[in-house]
Amino acid sequence: MPNLPSKKEIFLTGLWKDNPVLRQVLGICSTLAVTNLMVNTLVMDAGLIFTVCLSSLTVSLLRKYTPMRIRMMVQTLIIASYVIIVDILIKAHMPDISEALGPYVALIITNCIIMGRCEAFARNNPPLASFLDGLGMSLGYSLVLIAIAFIREPLGFGTLLGIRVMPENFVQWTIMIMAPGAFFTLGILAWITKYFLPNAKNSEERT
Amino acid sequence: MIKQLRSVVYMFLISLFFASLVSAVMFLNEKKIASNQALKLQRIILKVLDIAAEKNTADDQISRLFMERVKDIRVGDRILYVGYKEDGHTILGYAFPVGGPGFWGPIQGMVGVDPDATKVLGIAFYKHTETPGLGGRITEDWFSSQFNGLRLFPIEGDQKIFYLKPAGTTGAPNELDAITGATNTSSAVETFLNDELDYFLKELWTTVEERE
Amino acid sequence: MTPINPLTLFLAAIFTNNILLTNFLGLCPFLSISRERKSAMGMGAAVVFVMASTTVLNNWIYYKILLPFGLEHFRYIVFIVVIAAFVQLVEMTVERFFPALYFVLGIFLPLITVNCAIFGASLFMVIRGYDLVQSIAYGAGSGIGWWLAIMVVSAIREKLQKSATLPKGLEGPAITLIITGLLSLAFLAFSGMIRVQ
Repeated sequence: MPNLPSKKEIFLTGLWKDNPVLRQVLGICSTLAVTNLMVNTLVMDAGLIFTVCLSSLTVSLLRKYTPMRIRMMVQTLIIASYVIIVDILIKAHMPDISEALGPYVALIITNCIIMGRCEAFARNNPPLASFLDGLGMSLGYSLVLIAIAFIREPLGFGTLLGIRVMPENFVQWTIMIMAPGAFFTLGILAWITKYFLPNAKNSEERT
Repeated sequence: MIKQLRSVVYMFLISLFFASLVSAVMFLNEKKIASNQALKLQRIILKVLDIAAEKNTADDQISRLFMERVKDIRVGDRILYVGYKEDGHTILGYAFPVGGPGFWGPIQGMVGVDPDATKVLGIAFYKHTETPGLGGRITEDWFSSQFNGLRLFPIEGDQKIFYLKPAGTTGAPNELDAITGATNTSSAVETFLNDELDYFLKELWTTVEERE
Repeated sequence: MTPINPLTLFLAAIFTNNILLTNFLGLCPFLSISRERKSAMGMGAAVVFVMASTTVLNNWIYYKILLPFGLEHFRYIVFIVVIAAFVQLVEMTVERFFPALYFVLGIFLPLITVNCAIFGASLFMVIRGYDLVQSIAYGAGSGIGWWLAIMVVSAIREKLQKSATLPKGLEGPAITLIITGLLSLAFLAFSGMIRVQ
C-alpha cells in the first residue's frame, strides 16, 4: 500500500490542485445552469456538499461488503437516495428556492463528481478519509461556482444576492445570464487555471 | 451461482434500507410540503384580489384572511374564488387559475378580476419550469404588476387583450414589457394568457353572471 | 398533457431547445469525447439510441406503474436504474450479436450511463407531461441535437488542432467551452424558427 496522503492533504487537494470543475472537468452541467444567480448557486452548493460527503462516507463504510459487479448500481442507489432527501428538505423548508432550482436538484444524481469520488476514492479508502475527500471536492466545486456567479449575476442583472451592486445607469450584459455567457465565463476561468497550473494530471498521484 | 445470489440479496437489502430512509423523510415532511402548497395558493389568491399584498404576513394570518374573505365555487372546469370586501358580502372580485405551455414546461398562474370582469385586479404566476433568472422572472413583481388595471374584452379577430413587447418599445396601455433575454417565455405567456382570459370572458363569465 | 405536435417537439429538441446548448446537459462526456470526429460519431449514435429508448421506457413506467401505485417520489431512482440496466443490456447484446459494432461503439456505452442528458431527458419528460409519442419525438430529437452539437464542436476542434497554435492555457477544456459557447450563441438564432408550444 503506497503512502496514504495525510487527511489534511486529501482535503486540500480537492480545493485547488485537483479541483473537480477546473482540473478534472466534472460537474459542468450544473455549474453552467445555476450560476446566473448567487442565491441559487449557494443552495446548489449546499445540496452537493451534503450529497457528496454522505455518499462517499456511506460507500466507504460499505466497501468491504459490496460485491464488485454491482457496485455501480449500489453507488447510484445511495447517491439517488440522498439527493431525493435533499430535494424533499428543500421543498419543505425553502419552497421558493425549490421552484427556482427546478430539475437541477435532481440532476445532482448524475453530477459526475459524486460518482467520480465514489469510484476513485471512497470504495478503496477508510470512511473518515473518504468524507474529507468528498468535503474537499465539494468545497472546491462550490468555490468555482461562487466565483462564476460572482461574475455572471452582477454583469447580467446588476445585483448580487438580490442587492443592487452596479451603478444605476449600468446596461445589463444579458448574455451573461444566458447559455453562451455561462460557457464563456467557465472557459475563461479554465484558461486562467491552466495558465497558472499547467501540469494537468494530478489525480493519478492521489489514489 | 452463490455469488450472484449474494449480489441479489445485497442489492435487495440495500434498496430496502434506502427506500425506507427516503420514505421516512418523505413522511416526516409531507404535511409541511402540502401546507406550503396550500398556503402558497392562498397567498397568491389574496394577492391578485389585492386583499393582503405584504410579503411577510404570517402564515396563520394568511389562512385566517383567506377563510374570512374568500369563497370558492365551481364554474365549468375551473374553481373560481370569490373575494369579499371587509363587510363580508360585497363582492370585491373574482380570481381564477390559468395555465398554459411556457418555453420549458407548463406555467400556472392566477388572475384576479374586478366584480364586472372589465379589468384585471392583478395576476401572479406560481408554478413554472422556466430558466431561473430569465423566463423565471415572470414571478417577479415588476412583471406581474404590469397587468394591474388591464382592460378586459372578449377577443374578436386578430386583436389581443394585451401584448408583450421588448422593453422600451411599448406604447399603448395594453402593451407591456416582455422579459429581456427571455423572448420564448414571453411569447408563450402572451399566447396562452390571452387565450385563457378570452376563455374566461366568453365561457366562464356567463355562468358566474347568472349565479349572482 | 401538453398538446404539442410531436414533429414540432422533435425539431425543437434539436434546434431551439437543444439539450446541450440550452439546457447544459451532457457536458462531461461531451468535453472529453469531442476531441476527434470519429469518437464523436460513435458516442452520438449511442446517445441517440439510448436516449430515445429510455425516455419512452421511463414514460411507460412512470404513467403505468409509478403513478397508479403512488410511488412517484421514487422516480429518480427508478429512471436511473432503468437507464443503467438498459445500457448494460445493450452492451451485452451488441457484444454477442454485432461484434463489429461493439468494437466501434462498445467503449462508449458505460460512459452513457452517467451522461446527465439521458437522465435529464426523462426528468423533463415527466415535468412537461409528454405522452408516449411525444416522448419518442423528444428523446430522439434531444439525442440528435446532442449528436449535432458534438459533431460540430469536434469538427472545429480537429481543424483547430491542425491549422492553429493555441495559447498554452487554452488547450483542452477552455477552448472547447468557448467553442461551445459560440455554438450556443449561434443556435440562439434558431429561437424564432419554431414555435415549440
